[in-house]
Amino acid sequence: MIRRVLGFSPVVAAGLVSVAAAEGDVAYGEYLASECTTCHLLGATEATGGVPLITGWDAETFVLILKDFKTGVRDNAAMELVTARLGEEEMAALAAYFAQAE
Amino acid sequence: MTNRRTVLRGLAAAGGLLAAPAVLADGHGKPRVVVIGGGSGGATAARYLAKDSGGALDVTLVEPSRTYFTCYFSNLYLGGFQDMKDLGHTYGTLAGAHGVNVVHDWAVDVDRDAKTVALAGGAVLPYDKLILSPGIDFVDGAVPGWDVSKQNKMPHAYKAGSQTELLKAQLEAMPEGGTFAMVAPPNPYRCPPGPYERVSMVAHMLKARNPTAKILIVDPKEKFSKQGLFEEGWQAHYAGMIDRIGPDFGGDAVSVDPEAMTVDIDGSVEQVDVCNVIPAMKAGRIADMAGVTDGRWAPVNAADMSSKVDADVYVLGDAAQQGDMPKSGFSANSQAKVCANAVRGALTGSRVFPARFSNTCWSLISTEDGVKVGATYEATPEKIAKVDGFISQTGEDSALRKATYEESLGWYAGIVSDMFGV
Ligand SMILES: Cc1cc2nc3c(=O)[nH]c(=O)nc-3n(C[C@H](O)[C@H](O)[C@H](O)COP(=O)(O)OP(=O)(O)OC[C@H]3O[C@@H](n4cnc5c(N)ncnc54)[C@H](O)[C@@H]3O)c2cc1C
Ligand code: HEC
Repeated sequence: MIRRVLGFSPVVAAGLVSVAAAEGDVAYGEYLASECTTCHLLGATEATGGVPLITGWDAETFVLILKDFKTGVRDNAAMELVTARLGEEEMAALAAYFAQAE
Repeated sequence: MTNRRTVLRGLAAAGGLLAAPAVLADGHGKPRVVVIGGGSGGATAARYLAKDSGGALDVTLVEPSRTYFTCYFSNLYLGGFQDMKDLGHTYGTLAGAHGVNVVHDWAVDVDRDAKTVALAGGAVLPYDKLILSPGIDFVDGAVPGWDVSKQNKMPHAYKAGSQTELLKAQLEAMPEGGTFAMVAPPNPYRCPPGPYERVSMVAHMLKARNPTAKILIVDPKEKFSKQGLFEEGWQAHYAGMIDRIGPDFGGDAVSVDPEAMTVDIDGSVEQVDVCNVIPAMKAGRIADMAGVTDGRWAPVNAADMSSKVDADVYVLGDAAQQGDMPKSGFSANSQAKVCANAVRGALTGSRVFPARFSNTCWSLISTEDGVKVGATYEATPEKIAKVDGFISQTGEDSALRKATYEESLGWYAGIVSDMFGV
């Protein structure tokens, strides 16, 4: 499942690269991430069921993936809802946090 | 509320009794947070407070059970899709890895003037901030003929564990062609789609074991959560098996006789074989004892989940009256993280970020036929207010329904690890 989506998402959204991605506020990101960890496992090496692991991405790619959900390029009702209210600052903060989380 | 005398008596009785270091501690400098209830809201709050404060807070969690059985997926256990043992979770990681002081006892009183919590074992816990997440209790007399002393004859199975196992055993022992009746609850109650997911799972199980059996839902509500999706699924998978009697036909005028195994629906008496009574609900009793309820629930401020009557007491999850969020495990977990961020900020000066909440509830209708409803929420001065949402559609293809079911498996692993630690 993870591999299938990796292939297309960052490429499709490549035009939308945000400079903010590199300088996200990790503390804000950690708080925002608590919304994600109800579904996404932290501290695991393997995903369970249909929810992928989301640690270890570089920040820039992470933001691109979130934007793909936000714009509907990637289709998942739960992720579209979550990303609908994330602005540039929130995405950068989340990317910075998850880039260093395990 | 407790008076000074009972507090003192409690203190005396506590001497040397509990393996709970915080019990008699005073003046050791660290701010103290006591959390009552180690379920979806309480375990999450305790974990985030302890984890994020890095030892700056003294966090005590009071929970009578050594194993918490999730209500979520307990319907899937009835349907044969889950094992009960996989639904039980313990508190060892909270205590060991996060340093939460886990006390297995009942909170029996709260003295908000003295800022203490009295435990059944006699100990008294002082607090700077108190978080209540006691879940639900049933309203006395809600279904005439039923009370908790009858729960073995007519189980509620709305607190998971032995009640759920009992209901399953009764369903398995049902005579061929027998009738399973459910007395559904009025709004508001925990897990709006829960009774209807349960009907789906019971139908799935009976279809294989006892295909001529009947299911009768007696319902005081005009409409129910995900109704179109459930009714479509029942027609597709369990045609002719399920009957629902709504308020127009007496679904709101029901009494039961647990000895005779009858259900009286507005004067017409039905003989049934298994009866699941889900009575009207209210906040867990300790919220009443703390004096933070107004009617059945405890009103809270949306920004931080603090009680409307006491800024040092917070109420999470099912017990809270907060506005638009459904009473779910997902909601309780979401509220707990907002609350923990605010409580930690108030006690340690750490950064406090604006409240944001979310919820998604999945339901399983039949094998790999999953549906979901979700929404995001924000804090307004009046309440937790819905921002945006989605719901599964009727007529979706089976691949999407299967993916939705698989998401729920991932979510279950996620939420229990978010509550109890990894
Ligand atoms: C059949 C069913 C299916 C469900 N399915 C879902 C689902 O799929 N998704 C979902 O999100 N939600 C689901 N729910 C709802 C979910 O279980 C609850 O909404 C959620 O657990 C509420 O969390 P809480 O913290 O308020 O209470 P709980 O999780 O019930 O925790 C309360 C805890 O407080 C303890 N307690 C109570 N009184 C005291 C006291 N005086 N002293 C000390 N401890 C005390 C109890 O022992 C308990 O452990 C379902 C519920 C049911 C019944
Ligand atoms: C309600 C459950 C839920 C919540 C909450 C949630 N996600 Fe997701 N997320 C999913 C699911 C399901 C998928 C898989 C979607 C798919 O297959 O396209 C996913 C996919 C992702 C992916 C893509 C991973 C990959 O390998 O392609 C990222 C990144 C992600 N989520 C980040 C987040 C972030 C950040 C948050 C919090 C702001 C969040 N998610 C909150 C359910 C959730």
